[in-house]
Amino acid sequence: MELILDRVTKQYKNKIVVDRLNVVLKEGVYGLLGANGAGKTTLMRMICGIAKISSGEIRLDSEEIGDMGSRYRDLLGYLPQDFGYYPNFSAMEFMLYIASLKGLNRSYARKQSKILLEKVGLEAEMRHKIKTFSGGMRQRLGIAQALLNDPKILILDEPTAGLDPKERVRFRNMIAELGRDRIVILSTHIVSDVEEIADWIFLMKQGQFIAQGTLEDLKEHYLEVAGTEEPEKFNLEKLYLFYFSE
Amino acid sequence: MRYEWKKIFERRLNVAAMLLGYLLIGICVYNYITQESCYDAATDSYIEGVAAYRMQEELAQSQTDVITEAYVTDLIRDIQSRGIDLESDDAYTEIIRPLGDMFYFVSKNYTDMRSKNTDMDALDKVDVSEGAHFYEHRMEKITDYLNMDFSYGNYTEAEKAYWIAKAGRTNVPLRWGSKRVMNQVGELLFAGFYLWFVVVICVSSVFSSEYESGAAYLLLTTKYGKDRLVRSKIGVAALFTVGYLTGGALLAVVPVALLLGLPGADLPIQLWNPVIPYNMTIGQTCLGMFGLLLLIGSAIALALMCCSAGLRSSLATLVIGVAFIIAPAFIPMSKKSGLWNHINYLFPVRAFNLEDVMGAYVSYAAGNVVISYTAMVVIVYAAVSAVALLLIRRMFVKVR
Repeated sequence: MELILDRVTKQYKNKIVVDRLNVVLKEGVYGLLGANGAGKTTLMRMICGIAKISSGEIRLDSEEIGDMGSRYRDLLGYLPQDFGYYPNFSAMEFMLYIASLKGLNRSYARKQSKILLEKVGLEAEMRHKIKTFSGGMRQRLGIAQALLNDPKILILDEPTAGLDPKERVRFRNMIAELGRDRIVILSTHIVSDVEEIADWIFLMKQGQFIAQGTLEDLKEHYLEVAGTEEPEKFNLEKLYLFYFSE
Repeated sequence: MRYEWKKIFERRLNVAAMLLGYLLIGICVYNYITQESCYDAATDSYIEGVAAYRMQEELAQSQTDVITEAYVTDLIRDIQSRGIDLESDDAYTEIIRPLGDMFYFVSKNYTDMRSKNTDMDALDKVDVSEGAHFYEHRMEKITDYLNMDFSYGNYTEAEKAYWIAKAGRTNVPLRWGSKRVMNQVGELLFAGFYLWFVVVICVSSVFSSEYESGAAYLLLTTKYGKDRLVRSKIGVAALFTVGYLTGGALLAVVPVALLLGLPGADLPIQLWNPVIPYNMTIGQTCLGMFGLLLLIGSAIALALMCCSAGLRSSLATLVIGVAFIIAPAFIPMSKKSGLWNHINYLFPVRAFNLEDVMGAYVSYAAGNVVISYTAMVVIVYAAVSAVALLLIRRMFVKVR
């Protein structure tokens, strides 16, 4: 399975938010790093089909995702930024609601919801209303719903926002496991998350990928652009700061 | 669908509006029943409430079963023979009050059609030397009205022919009885337009709240987020609208029916106004009002869902909905533009006020084709619903 971004551009009036991105994504975990306003969320929304592409196209294998319609959405799991809706729904009700929209049958949905809520540590709160949840709990619920349909393409926008260190470790392990047989794209500005779990990292600035590769590739890149000869002192944060501290 | 129901019923504003709407109907029912009064000559006092309705019925039964020419002629002769100024206080106590609705009904037939109020001394001016010619006068009045020159435009020949034929098909002589209970049923159904505001409140957020909370971005990425979800939302909102309005109508009519029955439902609609050209009973007209309550309410709900999906703002949708219902009621009829008047008649509150509009001879003509006002209301609101249905999904799923 290949997700192909071909000269993908998003323009709002005169402002180019995503600028002619070309990339081919296969199974694995892809980390999208960038400051606020870099175009990460817009790019993810375009991949999800909820933001219009100004020019270029996104294809899954050889088929344009817009033409695939519900077949594409059936393969998709998405955690949007700032997750936290339906305050009067319980966690289980919310999972079942999303499951029904994902076309899962009721008994499977109930079973799967229970498993996923346990997986994200919300088994004790599955009957509690979402309005009683902390930010971290809501985020975990968001992650659980994204996994309901066992998606082949998983898109997570700032998934670790609001998670405490323990939850973050659990989440990283989960993502690493999921990335073995599917495309996982996660955006974050928390460098350590990406450093730990991403197989491929994109540094995004002003709608463009200014650097990309494995951690090892980025290390070499850093040594080259920063003009330093101390590879043992490299970490991703240094590269990030090199580009974004201006 | 059950989740969409939950979303509607878990919003406090919605629940408060629903309860308030029904409370308002309940208050109207209570007031209409208890505040009805009727003069009792035996005790020289006014009786109120249920007994007043009973007395009105007895009075109507004691007068006549059918409004015959002979009955009207005798009645007018009797009134004229008394030589009392019909606009005086004496006339009220000696003639008008004892005759009750019969006086107003007969007088209305001899009142200028352009006048909203009944001409109180109209019966003084009727020449009854060769009979009252009650029904002949009715048709003459209608014909004269249709041939008048109006500043906003005259009736076409096709319209004149249409209305004269329609009015001529009225079953005469008209049957007589007390219409009071059915009048109240009609007014209570008309009060049902308050419930449209509740529908507006509950429906305005159906789509926009998903955008406001950010949930739309998630829902639209799910397999059925662009079709089944939209259908569920439309289905639930439509069922809610029909269910809530029907509940309101039942709340209005059932207590009246239980307390008073529905006497007068089979009487001709001309008892509301003799010039009404439609060959219907008051009961059928009330049923028609109920149908319009649902049709217009559903059209408003669907059009607002379209706004809700397109504007993505509950507040803006709410304001549009409320303004659409209430604002046109304050827009006066034009003295120059017939086109504007024809449009004005189609706005919700005016369109729903059948008692006023059925005798107004409003028609929509294109060449020889004439569409009556009631048919036009049905066509327009059915069309609004159909267009809204087509657009809602497109608006909601439109990627920007």
